[in-house]
Amino acid sequence: MSRPRSTTALVAGTAVLGLLLAGCTGTDGSGKSTGAGGRIDYLNFGDFGGGAAPKPNYNPYLDAVKLSSTLYMFETLYIVEGNSCKEKPWLADSYKWQDPETLVFDIRPGVKWNDGKSFTAKDVEFTFNMLKKHPALDVRGAWAKLNSVKANGGKVVFSFKEPGASAFTIINQVPIVPKHIWSKVKDPTTFTNAKSPVGTGPMKMKSFSPKQLVTTRNGRYWQADKVKVNEIRFNKTDAGGQVEQLKLSRGEYDQQGLYVPDIQKTYVNRDPKHHHYWYAPGGPVSIYMNLTRAPFDDVRFRRALTKAFDHQKVIRRAQLGYVTHASQSGLVVPGQKDFLPKTLPDEGRIGYDPAAADKELTKAGYKKDGEGRRLGKNGKPISFSFKVPGSYTDWVASSKILIENLKSLGMDVEQETPTPKSQEEDRATGNYDMTFGVHGGTCNNYTNFSEPLSSARTAPIGKKADGNQVRWKDARTDKLLGELRVAVSRDRQKQAVHGLVDIMMDEVPMIPIWYGAKWFQYTTNKAEGWPNERNAYAAAGDNLVWLTHLTPAKD
Amino acid sequence: MKFFVRRTGFFLATLWAAVTLNFLIPRLEPGDPAEALLSRLTSRTEAVDPAQLAAVRKLLGAPDGNLLQQYWEYLAALANGHFGVSYTYYPYSVTDVISEAMPWTLVLVGVTQIFSFVVGTALGAWAAYRRNTRTDSLITLGSTFLGTLPFFWIGLLLIFVFAITLNWFPEGGGYGGGSQPGWTWLFFSDAFQHSVLPALSLLITGPIGWILGMRNNMVQTLGEDYARLARAKGLPRRRIALTYGARIAILPNVTGFAIALGSILGGTVLVESIFNYPGMGRLLLEAVSNKDFPLMQTLFLFTTIGVLIANFLADMAYGLLDPRVRRKDAT
Repeated sequence: MSRPRSTTALVAGTAVLGLLLAGCTGTDGSGKSTGAGGRIDYLNFGDFGGGAAPKPNYNPYLDAVKLSSTLYMFETLYIVEGNSCKEKPWLADSYKWQDPETLVFDIRPGVKWNDGKSFTAKDVEFTFNMLKKHPALDVRGAWAKLNSVKANGGKVVFSFKEPGASAFTIINQVPIVPKHIWSKVKDPTTFTNAKSPVGTGPMKMKSFSPKQLVTTRNGRYWQADKVKVNEIRFNKTDAGGQVEQLKLSRGEYDQQGLYVPDIQKTYVNRDPKHHHYWYAPGGPVSIYMNLTRAPFDDVRFRRALTKAFDHQKVIRRAQLGYVTHASQSGLVVPGQKDFLPKTLPDEGRIGYDPAAADKELTKAGYKKDGEGRRLGKNGKPISFSFKVPGSYTDWVASSKILIENLKSLGMDVEQETPTPKSQEEDRATGNYDMTFGVHGGTCNNYTNFSEPLSSARTAPIGKKADGNQVRWKDARTDKLLGELRVAVSRDRQKQAVHGLVDIMMDEVPMIPIWYGAKWFQYTTNKAEGWPNERNAYAAAGDNLVWLTHLTPAKD
Repeated sequence: MKFFVRRTGFFLATLWAAVTLNFLIPRLEPGDPAEALLSRLTSRTEAVDPAQLAAVRKLLGAPDGNLLQQYWEYLAALANGHFGVSYTYYPYSVTDVISEAMPWTLVLVGVTQIFSFVVGTALGAWAAYRRNTRTDSLITLGSTFLGTLPFFWIGLLLIFVFAITLNWFPEGGGYGGGSQPGWTWLFFSDAFQHSVLPALSLLITGPIGWILGMRNNMVQTLGEDYARLARAKGLPRRRIALTYGARIAILPNVTGFAIALGSILGGTVLVESIFNYPGMGRLLLEAVSNKDFPLMQTLFLFTTIGVLIANFLADMAYGLLDPRVRRKDAT
């Protein structure tokens, strides 16, 4: 990689030397420094992927093996920001649905690849048609929906096989690559892009070693004035082990995403002024009930159970207070609260009320006998098992609390702890009474609801279902999903989502308990402006968005 | 001569069996490499995207043809030195990945093995020479005690004391983030610093087996008639111990040593995972957990072949060192 001779080179050289010296003593990256251009000299991030002995790989479509720096080098047409799901224009500066089957993007003028060539609509056309030719690269399944992609001057026209609204987030997850490089690649499925990868993104490669990967600021970036970081250094970790937690607590990382027990004590308290974390809610972890078995096939039974679980105790005791109470609506709140019906109390969270649950169960015909046992419709005591992956210790602890809740209502519930693999298998084939499942949590509401609820995704008991593992079959749900799939305007989408939320609240196909947390730790020693609970302008995973918000620390 | 021919035939037969088993066993194990690869990326509170799974499956491909066809293709590929593409490090070839990990293990484990063997055998011989004295009990009891300590515990203790509390050595890895692998002094001194703790942990437990084996063998040989005769003749004690005792007692240890050298290739999974060392052991661990069949298969194959060759060489050396073996086999 060539760089103009200047003070930048000198500063970078000194930084490398400093790093070498620091590397010998094992302390790296504490202390603040502002480098060239009044920007942050460098930031230390965590792991960069690629396993224990990583090899350079910056092919943005090889999800399982590409290194993390790829996420800072390639960009998409729009970014659907992962917290509130707002659309941000990126490589395209606007879009329009010409008709429900045709989506037209206006390409942002003046964007350059980091080798100096101009980015054009032809690059977008080339990228998508390459994915069509090599389905192994189409990791989002864009061509399952697409008919054709054509450049037309400064516009790109996407035409879909059917109304394509639900494909909008998918199209905007496809990183765009330069035609002038990739058209010469013989087989893009085995292309590692290891030598000076060319992208439009804010950072470009500087150096790679299996221990550390360094990216440097792309001076040609289309919003370069907003990038106040000269270098990002990724450091190979021991996969979330003890040593990593120690390094995190010493403040050696400016940003990390580790699971850390007792974060307040081991991390924040070490330097309360600079050490922070934000565990934003992700997809809900729900109780899946086998809807083909009694008593779970009775909607009044399920409705009574929504009040039966002590969410707060699960969150406090089993989840270390890292997570939040999941809304029964199936959406992730507060991020997606715009999609909820205004009339819904407390954003769809249902509180713990065992007395009400007891009353509703009795009213629905599930009475207690003289020994306090809850009886089924057949007059026999209700008895079932709760399967939870045995090695997920926090899930096991959570299920213990939930089982206690059920037992206090007079049900005989037995905990089973199979391996994660066999729990997954049992859930897919419908071989369970009650178990845990994760669904939704993305910005594509069609996926969020169709995966767990569409009758097209389910399978008979004994056969593996790739979605809808609770076996929910409902004509109204399918009709609403059909509407949502083709709804182009946000208002029409909201209308369909309201209907689906209504089904979640009223028919209770599953009971969300808590939101899986997105681990995100950051320090404000060198950089400020990270997204957090008070300023949730982006999710932890929206690296391209928050990188443009970082500024040198003031103190 | 017949002895050597027979050993060679036996070696080839075992080699074929190992190669064939190596082909069959991974195919009997259930599991989908595509799922294993993706589950590494997604946490358990994220659902895997079916489109992504389908794309990765297309990428890795599935073996075609029936089992017999696959077997022939496998043998042909082996003969040409093609071991396939690693799933974990796609699209890099298995050969690439292994050739990078191999030197680390060879140097670290090789050096410590040789050192352990020399030190262990010498200490064992010394203990036998001074048997039933305080030196003997110190050596024997001391090594028995150290041998009962769990290996990972020793490793973690070393990290805690020397890396974290005293900060003398790095806590893991083969080299620091700042140095690039290459033929430079900086890299070598860095790599050396990183190898001190893993080597130390291997050296604490390494010699124990050799010490105990050597001592027991030698105590036995020193009780034999020829040793008694030598003593009656009035030969110096030191000469009896070395030429009459040690020379014969060392034979079983030589076989043991050859096997130990052969299995270096498999790496030392435990030590490499504790110290995050970039060698073959950690590669094996990763290959198994990711269901990376091509990588796993090649690593197992190398280990088996290594042990077989070492065994074969030990057999040969045995024939040279100990004339009795040759004669017995010849009749």
